[in-house]
Amino acid sequence: MTHRGRAPRFGALVTPGAEALPLARRAEELGLDLVAVPDAGEALDTWTLLGWIAGRTDRIGLLAGLEVSDREPAVLARSAATLDLLTGGRLELALTGEPGALGEAVEIIRGVLDAGEAGPVRHLGKHYRVPQAQRGPLPAHRIPIMICGSDPALARLAGLTADGYWGPEAGAILDDAAAGAGRDPAELRRIAVVPPAVTVAELTALAADTILIRTDDPDDLRRFAEQTAGLRPADPAPALQRSSSVRAKRRTGIDYDNLPAALAETAVEPGDLDYARVRSTYLRGGAPGLVLRPRTTGEVVAALGYVRAHPGLPFGLRSGGHGVSGRSTNDGGLVVSLAALDSIEILDEGRRLVRIGPGARWTSVADALKPYGWALSSGDYGGVGVGGLATAGGLGWLARKHGLTIDRLRAVEMVLADGAVVRASEAENPDLFWAVRGAGANFGVVTSFDFEADEVGSVGFAQLVVAADDPADLLVKWGAAIEAAPRDVSGQLIMGMPRPGRPAFAQLMCVVDADDPETIIDLLQPIAAVAPLYQQQVSLVPYAEVMANAADGYHQGQGDPVSRSGLIEHLTGEFGRAAARLLASGAVHWFQIRTVGGAVADVPEEATAYAHRSANFSVTVMGSSQRRVDAAWQDLYQHFDGLYLSFETDRSPTRLSDAFPPATLARLRELKRRYDPGNLFRDNFNIPAEGEPR
Amino acid sequence: MTDYGHDLLFGAFITPTAAPASQPVELAVVADRAGLDLATFQDHPYVSRFHDTWTLISYAAARTERIRLSGNVLSLPLRGPAVLARSHACLDRLTGGRIELAIGAGAFWDGIEAMGGRRLTAGQSVDALGEAIEVIRQVWDADEAGPVRVRGSHYEVSGAKRGPAPAHDIGIWVGAYKPRMLRLIGRAADGVLPSLSYLAGGPADYAGINRHIDDSAGESGRDPGRIRRLLNINGTFSALGRSFLDGPAEQWAEDLAGLTLEYGVSTFILATDDPAEIEEFAAEVAPAVRELVAAERGDQRS
Repeated sequence: MTHRGRAPRFGALVTPGAEALPLARRAEELGLDLVAVPDAGEALDTWTLLGWIAGRTDRIGLLAGLEVSDREPAVLARSAATLDLLTGGRLELALTGEPGALGEAVEIIRGVLDAGEAGPVRHLGKHYRVPQAQRGPLPAHRIPIMICGSDPALARLAGLTADGYWGPEAGAILDDAAAGAGRDPAELRRIAVVPPAVTVAELTALAADTILIRTDDPDDLRRFAEQTAGLRPADPAPALQRSSSVRAKRRTGIDYDNLPAALAETAVEPGDLDYARVRSTYLRGGAPGLVLRPRTTGEVVAALGYVRAHPGLPFGLRSGGHGVSGRSTNDGGLVVSLAALDSIEILDEGRRLVRIGPGARWTSVADALKPYGWALSSGDYGGVGVGGLATAGGLGWLARKHGLTIDRLRAVEMVLADGAVVRASEAENPDLFWAVRGAGANFGVVTSFDFEADEVGSVGFAQLVVAADDPADLLVKWGAAIEAAPRDVSGQLIMGMPRPGRPAFAQLMCVVDADDPETIIDLLQPIAAVAPLYQQQVSLVPYAEVMANAADGYHQGQGDPVSRSGLIEHLTGEFGRAAARLLASGAVHWFQIRTVGGAVADVPEEATAYAHRSANFSVTVMGSSQRRVDAAWQDLYQHFDGLYLSFETDRSPTRLSDAFPPATLARLRELKRRYDPGNLFRDNFNIPAEGEPR
Repeated sequence: MTDYGHDLLFGAFITPTAAPASQPVELAVVADRAGLDLATFQDHPYVSRFHDTWTLISYAAARTERIRLSGNVLSLPLRGPAVLARSHACLDRLTGGRIELAIGAGAFWDGIEAMGGRRLTAGQSVDALGEAIEVIRQVWDADEAGPVRVRGSHYEVSGAKRGPAPAHDIGIWVGAYKPRMLRLIGRAADGVLPSLSYLAGGPADYAGINRHIDDSAGESGRDPGRIRRLLNINGTFSALGRSFLDGPAEQWAEDLAGLTLEYGVSTFILATDDPAEIEEFAAEVAPAVRELVAAERGDQRS
């Protein structure tokens, strides 16, 4: 009864009537694997009934038998994606119809469900015309599509394209069709239907891996469940077998078949459905050859071992996948995604100590700390992951009051290049702890961060739009207003390229760490007065609400934007005029200045690898052409004293001495020699152990 | 002053977003528990960031206990009248009568065509909807002798089996603004469902909507009072009353009661994806509107 090595599955085939739900629930209670609802045409609508059953069951697989002729295939595909998403991946389809039309319908359905493919679905066939349907939504799992029917042409279609066949014994038709299409016939599921009176001997003799009992009698279900309990293999975990079409998309140079078993369970390769969810980052399109998704420190150790065994390949390390500098995806290489290490744990309420995994996103951190009246200043966007930001600096909404994110860090656990798991703090491995706070990506994978949170309740959040007819003047006045403001005020300024015929404007955003509306308004007045005000919105909200700005869903970044970064002490007139020229050049579409200074400058320069403590502002520009951005940036460059490595895409060696003062850089190189002499952690803002040849 | 005296219904107009996938279901559950009468979802099958609306409704129906559900409105061109009729009747039976059928003739023709649907002119789409309503009513009329037979220029059904019959008399509500569609409602449908944000002249435009429907109903010998007047609304709950549906709950109640008494609007569906707003609408606004309207209607009767 097992079919070509597949573990058998047992289910109930019920009549689409009022009793279908109680039967499905009974089948679920009895531990059966799936409930199948056929398209009976005249009774209840199968698809609607299946949605209803889905909503009132929790675990059991759902097999929809559908005649495709009276449904739009593209709509059917979205319906399938919806039910699969809502049930966390419990759906399978068994489709039937006239063979020619069904073949086209399957192609359209697959096309819509393949949300990771580029471009819309276009199908101009004999039976269906779908000029350009959007793909998606991406279902929760790869929905198996079985072909159902007794026509030999349907068996042939199943062999050619489907994930399974539900029909009478098709002899060689199925296998030949599969082999002819270059597929392994063993990849196809075989579904068989048996009457309630079936015997164990008959079950054992069946050449099928999915066996459905046709009954509407709960007693039959019980007997069937008892009969089949003994037919299940002792080891229920089937080996993960990828189909030939998935394996065909593998990249060269990656030893896919020798991945440690624990990592293999969650790894994603280019042919997998989940690939669309992990290939790209917030700003960049990517095509990695393998994405590893470790769930524990032990699995991170194993992942790094696997990376060490592939020394020639690009290696991206990813927490939230927001990295502006863009090293957390690649083309054809390895990516270690830390998204699963996302726990947030209160260690010591009295000392406000929290332990956070690198894969947590800052919006979740803010939500978790809110009930305690705490917060951690991070960046300005809730979708950013903890790991990348908390090893670089963290220029956030509360920076002037509470410092950089790394300034609240008290200890880390990390995995080094050689696989050693160490802790680092002021007391333990202090050198490493120093390096992690500003250049962490060069030294290992931090698997947990211990932070001391700040007491932060509600804050004032202001979003202002002001005139920017004279950008230089605006920058000088805004800079002066910020420097004159108490530390309770942090914020940022955003401008874009001027557009002909439209007034130039700037967005000013501020967070005031105070919970009294009058104080907030008083502190905002001088900032709102820097230029004529077009729009204003000020609200008193929990800090977590300021961070609740992240989009849901997976990253679908495209392209490869260029980003440059500079740290600056004062926004002088000369700087302002240079910035105005840069904006007018049209080379950048994004110009942002964040406030630092205040508490950031309280920390001595030598205390952390992030050393440019005297800066009051961080300037970032982004554009699409490296040549144009670099040319426009040249004019501003002389005004800067340092850069923030997370916002810098330029890989030329000079950037290293911009990011780190000489003494800091010398110490980092020495530590790199000690902790990562082979430069395993290289696809980041890389600090080679040896200086550049002179 | 046109008040048709309908009982008042209050609902939520929920975005069927597919990410996060369970959000629209959770909002329907919130609306159900909060005591709203209706959970409704827009339907744009060509937009891939949305769930399939009918599948979502089937699933949400299973997750809720009491609330009625409908599209808002379902796109006829990509769904087909016979499937709509059977699927609505099926879910109505499964839920014990909690399903209504809200439908539109099609709005974004580029999207419809991209998915394989046929592009129709405005006039054709009114005719198609008229034929679809005929098909739907015949399918539901399971006790009638003979098969479904509609010979239309857009839908041709000959000999399809009738049934299943729904558990209750499902209302056919039509999204409509223009005279031809409004007149079709007067002849053949059970409700009109415009969105306030699409009424160029604001709530006052409802007078024109009523006039077309009522005239047409009268001409076809139907009682205009049988046709429910629904309205999708959007607004802001704020401490200070600033404008129509921008103020505290008491002001909302007065604004909405005014629409009932002035134009006979008897179903208010709030567009929101915020659970707190759903709860405030159910707990603060709905009872207050009912009270204001009951008091006014009582005065008129006495």
